[in-house]
Amino acid sequence: MKKYDLITPEGTRDLLFDESVARRTAEDKLRKLFEDYGYSEVITPGIEFYDVFTSKSRYFAQESMYKLSDAKGRLMVIRPDSTMPIARLAATRLKDEVYPLKLFYSQNIFRINPKESGRDDEITQSGAEIIGGCPKKADMEVLNLAAEAIKTFETEDFRFEIGDSAFFKLLISKITSDEEETAQIREYIENKNLPELKAALEKYGCSDDVKNLCELPKLFGGEEVFERADSLFKDEKLLDVLRDMKRAYGYLCCLGLKDKVTVDFGLVNKADYYTGLLFRGYMHGFGMPVLSGGRYDALAGDFGFSRPATGFAVNINAVAKALLKNNGEPLTKPSEILVYSEYDERGFIRCRELIKSGIKAENSINESLESAKDFARKKGIRFVEVVDKDGTVEKIDVI
Amino acid sequence: MSDVIRIALTKGRLEKDTVKLFEELGFDVSAVKDKGRRLILPISDRNIEVVLAKAADVITYVEHGVCDLGVVGKDTIMEHGGKYFELMDLGFGKCKFALAGKKGKDFYKGYGVKTVASKYTNVTRTFFESKGMDVDIVKIEGSVELAPLLGLADGIVDIVETGTTLKENGLEVYEDVAQISARLIANTVSMKLKKERIDELMVLIEEKLED
Repeated sequence: MKKYDLITPEGTRDLLFDESVARRTAEDKLRKLFEDYGYSEVITPGIEFYDVFTSKSRYFAQESMYKLSDAKGRLMVIRPDSTMPIARLAATRLKDEVYPLKLFYSQNIFRINPKESGRDDEITQSGAEIIGGCPKKADMEVLNLAAEAIKTFETEDFRFEIGDSAFFKLLISKITSDEEETAQIREYIENKNLPELKAALEKYGCSDDVKNLCELPKLFGGEEVFERADSLFKDEKLLDVLRDMKRAYGYLCCLGLKDKVTVDFGLVNKADYYTGLLFRGYMHGFGMPVLSGGRYDALAGDFGFSRPATGFAVNINAVAKALLKNNGEPLTKPSEILVYSEYDERGFIRCRELIKSGIKAENSINESLESAKDFARKKGIRFVEVVDKDGTVEKIDVI
Repeated sequence: MSDVIRIALTKGRLEKDTVKLFEELGFDVSAVKDKGRRLILPISDRNIEVVLAKAADVITYVEHGVCDLGVVGKDTIMEHGGKYFELMDLGFGKCKFALAGKKGKDFYKGYGVKTVASKYTNVTRTFFESKGMDVDIVKIEGSVELAPLLGLADGIVDIVETGTTLKENGLEVYEDVAQISARLIANTVSMKLKKERIDELMVLIEEKLED
């Protein structure tokens, strides 16, 4: 007996009408933006070797990847991420291209979420990546593009947030080199788990570095955070990073985002994959970031091709959901005219004329005029046009 | 006034302790105290909405961002995991996770793989993983104390408050696993979008807790 022939796997779904339109609209807007800014599209395979996703600088938990094996018994995964395949691409077929490279993609990724968590296992991501170039300039370029990306969704209800993974890395390197400890402390900072963080850092005494590490998760908010950071940080290297971040903040303000930008010094990534500036975009109505990105200079090196790189991805599922929620109007409109004819070619000719003149019209494939009218009424199509043998048209208002 | 803050409370003792805390802070909790069967209750003078839910659901609601904040025990956090900010130790609802078993027995003695019964299988697994120890874990929903008594398990991992239930059944604590207390958690996006309001609330609570 078949048990699973009528349902879709957990974490996946059929997208109907407005849902599809919302998704495609978001994708199209970003595609246009990326193209306008001189980025070139790449499409990578849906299935890749497992090895691509087990690089040193970007870690994917193996239980989060959909796996299968090929005819030779080699382990494959269904694409869980687009950045790593692009790094692979840069290190191989794009090696001799003119650098810096500006690439973009719009494709689905697959990740296994804990069961019954209500999260999507299949996510459409549109994103841009810059490989090579002057890192500081590339950072600004990518920030601008990310800000533009959020703006294309025409919502005022968003926030843009910047941070820098270097703060954590510099501070932690001075107090411990133990990987497990580092991972644990990183997790506490990521989760803003102040009580546990304090307890974990207790044994390292109370040097400036420990104090600063303790303060990191609290250093988030608007411009005032910089003042607090100024008074906390003494170390030259930290001050350097701080200067860069102020620059990025000032830059975003210049782009007209002053009341939309916040900073968070406690932005750290579990994957340990970002090496510098990082940023996120939030939209009202969605409990997770809709955009995230940053600098990942070590990744290409994992594929034997050392180049600085930066980029970001937009979670199209999230954007589409937020747009559908905030937008009361239906996105798909019914046709204006249903063309019915007993004489097949007449109907098609009339239909073609109407469409050419910019009217949304469709050809009736109903059995009879009566069923065509009934169909039109149910679908919200206002007019039925009946076309006679000689091409004369009778327009009937069915609503 | 700005957006409403929605806070999910774990029904039962943590709910009562939190409401008491709010009352001490001078919030108008009359609607919450006189709740009847309603599950969403206003603290209108602070533009706060209280949602009452089961412990694990508090985490789910906060994770998905339909509630901005939550009050939940560290036990549920440890068992459930997930992605949210764990902001504060609220200091109440104190108890602990412990490994327990029949009185006078040495749990670690012998070569055989031990069987451990627990309602908190993830906590149990993590605990023994950190020791590098293989154990068989059996999930028990009700009174876990029965499992070693009936000979199903060598030990149990469970929440211990006073230890009376253990004692009355001839069991004892072998080892503490983790300390537990109530935590204030926040959705990661709410924390950013409603920072001022959440900060304001946290400062009030912090001041009260320090007293």
